[in-house]
Amino acid sequence: MPLLSPLLIAPLLAGLLCLLTPSRRIMEAAGVLAFAATLALGIGLLYRVLADGVVTEWGGFLCADALSAWMVLLISIVSLATSLYAGRYLRVELAVGALTPGRVREFFVLTPVFGAGMLFVVLANNLGVMWAAVEATALSSVLLVALYNRRNSLEAAWKYVVLGSLGLALALLGTVFIYAAACKNHEHALPSFNWSQLVVVADQFDPNLLKLAFVFAFVGYGTKAGLAPMHTWLPDAHSEAPSPTSAMLSGVSLKIALYALLRFHILTTACLHSGFSRHFFLAFGLFSMFLAAPFILVQRNLKRMLAYSSLEHVGLICTGIALNTPLTIFGALLHMGYHALAKPVLFFAAGNIHQTFHTLEFRAIGPGVGQVLPVTMVCMGAAAVAATGLPPFGMFVSEMTVIAGGMAARQTTVSVLVLVALLACFCGILQQLTRILPGVRSPGARPPAPHAGGGVSAMGLLLGGLLVFSVWLPAPLLALLHQAAGVIEGKS
Amino acid sequence: MNPPASIEIGSQAITLMAALMLVVQLLLIAQRMLLTSIRLFAIQSLFLAAIAAVVAYYHNAWHVYFIALLTLVGKVIFLPWLLNRLVYRIQIDQEIEPLLNAPASMLVCGGLTLLGYVVARPFTSLERLGNNTLAVALTLLLTGFFLMINRRKALTQVLALLTVENGVMLAAVALTTYGMPLVVELGIFFDVMVAVMVLGILVYRIRENFASMDTSKLNQLKG
Amino acid sequence: MKAIAGVFFQTLLLLLLAPLLSGCIRNWKAKLQNRRGPRVWQPYLDLAKFMRKDMVISEHASWVFHAMPYVLFLSTLLAGLMMPLITAAAPLRLFGDALAFIGLLALGRFFLALGGLDPASAFGGMGSSREMTLAAIAEPALLLAIFTVAITSGSTDFSQMLGAAQTPAWRLLNPAHLLAFSALFIVLLAETGRIPVDNPATHLELTMIHEAMLLEYSGRYLALIEWSASIKQLVLMALLVNIFFPVGIAVGLEPAALGWSMACFLGKLLLLAGAVVLVETTNAKMRLFRVPDLLSAAFVLAALALLSTFLFH
Repeated sequence: MPLLSPLLIAPLLAGLLCLLTPSRRIMEAAGVLAFAATLALGIGLLYRVLADGVVTEWGGFLCADALSAWMVLLISIVSLATSLYAGRYLRVELAVGALTPGRVREFFVLTPVFGAGMLFVVLANNLGVMWAAVEATALSSVLLVALYNRRNSLEAAWKYVVLGSLGLALALLGTVFIYAAACKNHEHALPSFNWSQLVVVADQFDPNLLKLAFVFAFVGYGTKAGLAPMHTWLPDAHSEAPSPTSAMLSGVSLKIALYALLRFHILTTACLHSGFSRHFFLAFGLFSMFLAAPFILVQRNLKRMLAYSSLEHVGLICTGIALNTPLTIFGALLHMGYHALAKPVLFFAAGNIHQTFHTLEFRAIGPGVGQVLPVTMVCMGAAAVAATGLPPFGMFVSEMTVIAGGMAARQTTVSVLVLVALLACFCGILQQLTRILPGVRSPGARPPAPHAGGGVSAMGLLLGGLLVFSVWLPAPLLALLHQAAGVIEGKS
Repeated sequence: MNPPASIEIGSQAITLMAALMLVVQLLLIAQRMLLTSIRLFAIQSLFLAAIAAVVAYYHNAWHVYFIALLTLVGKVIFLPWLLNRLVYRIQIDQEIEPLLNAPASMLVCGGLTLLGYVVARPFTSLERLGNNTLAVALTLLLTGFFLMINRRKALTQVLALLTVENGVMLAAVALTTYGMPLVVELGIFFDVMVAVMVLGILVYRIRENFASMDTSKLNQLKG
Repeated sequence: MKAIAGVFFQTLLLLLLAPLLSGCIRNWKAKLQNRRGPRVWQPYLDLAKFMRKDMVISEHASWVFHAMPYVLFLSTLLAGLMMPLITAAAPLRLFGDALAFIGLLALGRFFLALGGLDPASAFGGMGSSREMTLAAIAEPALLLAIFTVAITSGSTDFSQMLGAAQTPAWRLLNPAHLLAFSALFIVLLAETGRIPVDNPATHLELTMIHEAMLLEYSGRYLALIEWSASIKQLVLMALLVNIFFPVGIAVGLEPAALGWSMACFLGKLLLLAGAVVLVETTNAKMRLFRVPDLLSAAFVLAALALLSTFLFH
């Protein structure tokens, strides 16, 4: 039974349906159903990959190994939660007049397309098609970021699209160079551009051209992944987008770009057998973490702070990849998963706060959010504790894995630096959130809007998953992660 | 089949057209009228399509002819028409003072050309047809970036992005025997088309909201 | 003996052909603008008229004023004798190459500027300063473009450049030459004072560059200066057509070859004149502070051409 094609077709059909149907309820339901289907298919894919190693379809055009399967699971669950939350969120926005019905339809059409694009990225075997899919996700998310017709939204969307397109142009150049490096040995026939076949013959590539290709691809895809110093679009885009979209952007689209980077990293290491690509990951990863820390500490806007926190986590994942021991790579992959579960909850809660208090500035929100939105406070508190790396949540485990793995590999400086950056972000986030969440509303504060918080199902799903998977990783999932780590290290 | 002697002429023709693409890029840097800039981009893409056609002729590869045709239809006819329509709707047709004036910009681009040549030096042996087209491609990339930084109107930044894409496509033609596989070229082509449409929508919305296309007014989000 | 004859005939050619070229350009420009225009041989009649007239000289003029027309005329003529027109070997080629050529043209221009300043008229000073500003940017472009061709042919001697152009190693589609040709075309427009740099037919003093320096001159001085300007135009156009398209140039001195070479030369000159007329008619004169933009574009093109000679091998 084909698994990969339905994974792509389901969200696209949902998007098409939303384009045609006039009823808003059908639109809301379509997204939820499509992503529930992809989640089910993803679980099926997990078992198939564990059994067969690699799953291909359409003659090798679509190919899923363990790393792809892991990403498929993450994309599905975050998109499902977003679709669950978006229904109520957009209903409120429509009611207060912040969005027109046309824009709401735009959201429901573009979000499944966005999700389908991301699924295509992880399933495409051909490097050029992978690039085209990343560009497709970028373009579909741009209009989502610009959904509100506010000046700030347009500014954020413009920065996002310009920087993103520039980065992707560089990544395309890197892709072209890799193809040229592969062409060296094939004078008269077209070599295959499929990643699975390239990685087998990587030894024969021209090393100089491959290095140049990696540099361009790293800077290009790194811009999409939000690595500093190419991250300047990140806080703007993630804060000005509607909260469901922010959740998807922070939760998975950064990871998609990291996935593309990982594919190039594996190819480069297979050819050069040196730490050339790892140095890039380490330098940019640490730089991102240390850049995020001060901005979190002085931040005044809730969603911008969350965006900088995403930057920090992406930096941590890159550092974990760079340390290159089985333990740290496993930790990095695990961290991807936990971050994808926790960050969307924070964004959903921020969305609730925004709709209730009509502002995202900490000073304007004031203390005592818990009085007005108790459920939101609990969820946000739990997710914040998770996201800053406190036990018993899973991020503690993954962060400790990375740090401990670094120490074990005698990279003590790196581990210490990572620890310092994590501590700074921990302080920043918790300080800001404790200022607004608990406490009593000050009497002079602006009265909150009557629509109290909602979206419990979405937040509950993710938090529940986070709690469960923090204490118990089912055996198939563990096996999948080990297999994915093996793919990154270069074992077939 | 073509006699091998005429490959020399084909190689020369490609080198010539690559140099012409570079000249058009320099003219773009110094240009102030938006409609003329769009026309210059169309001319540059025409040269790119011609280069692809020459490559297809010498390798007898029908799919590269198809790519040349796609470039012709998409980048020479459709995109300039789209951008022209956007300019008419927005009714702004002149660039405002750039950050660096025209002579200084030209000198900077001369320097960037030198940089592009120096970077591409080690790879000249890998080129198939035509000398130093990789250097021209890298130069198009660098000068496209410079154009994006130097100008403030949103539409010129879109054009700069498109010239960067032209540079990447030229690199693909220069380095690979038959160009990229057809499916990749199709994917890239459609992505560029959709990208320009999305950018056009954004430019129109920016114009509506800010009453100008000056991107230096987009400076509210900081920190 | 042959050398002296060569000098004599080339001088005659320069003196007689230059006004005809100016007349052609003026006539065609008028035809393109739907006017009848002056006759093609009108410049000859104008020169004759100026020669006959009295001169009115400002009382502030010094020896520079009197010397300038002769210096300009002679330097331009000498430069023209170093340029191969019909024969591949220019008559004075042993006395100077491309560098001397540019130096002589610069000498003429220097004295022209001095002659504009000398009578202490406001417009003259204005014209001189404008001329020198444009020269400061145009001459490096001219130099770089000529050096480009010199590097590909291995010598700065024009005859050597022409000789190299006849060999099969010369590539017609060489991008370095294309870039150098475009740079030189823009410099040609600047040096001969054509639209878009300067309007040769203007009578508004504040828009003049070249004419402003000549306002105080009359009579035979003015004739010599106008003649020199035409010769300079002819020589620069010959530079463009002969160095880049040396079709039909006579290598020996047989009359048949010389006749054929003359015909080709005239044909090429007229084609280039047609191109200049087209550019003049389709463009408007640029504002003065925008002209450095155009000339720096020419400079960058020439610099790129020079770069290309090293890198497009």
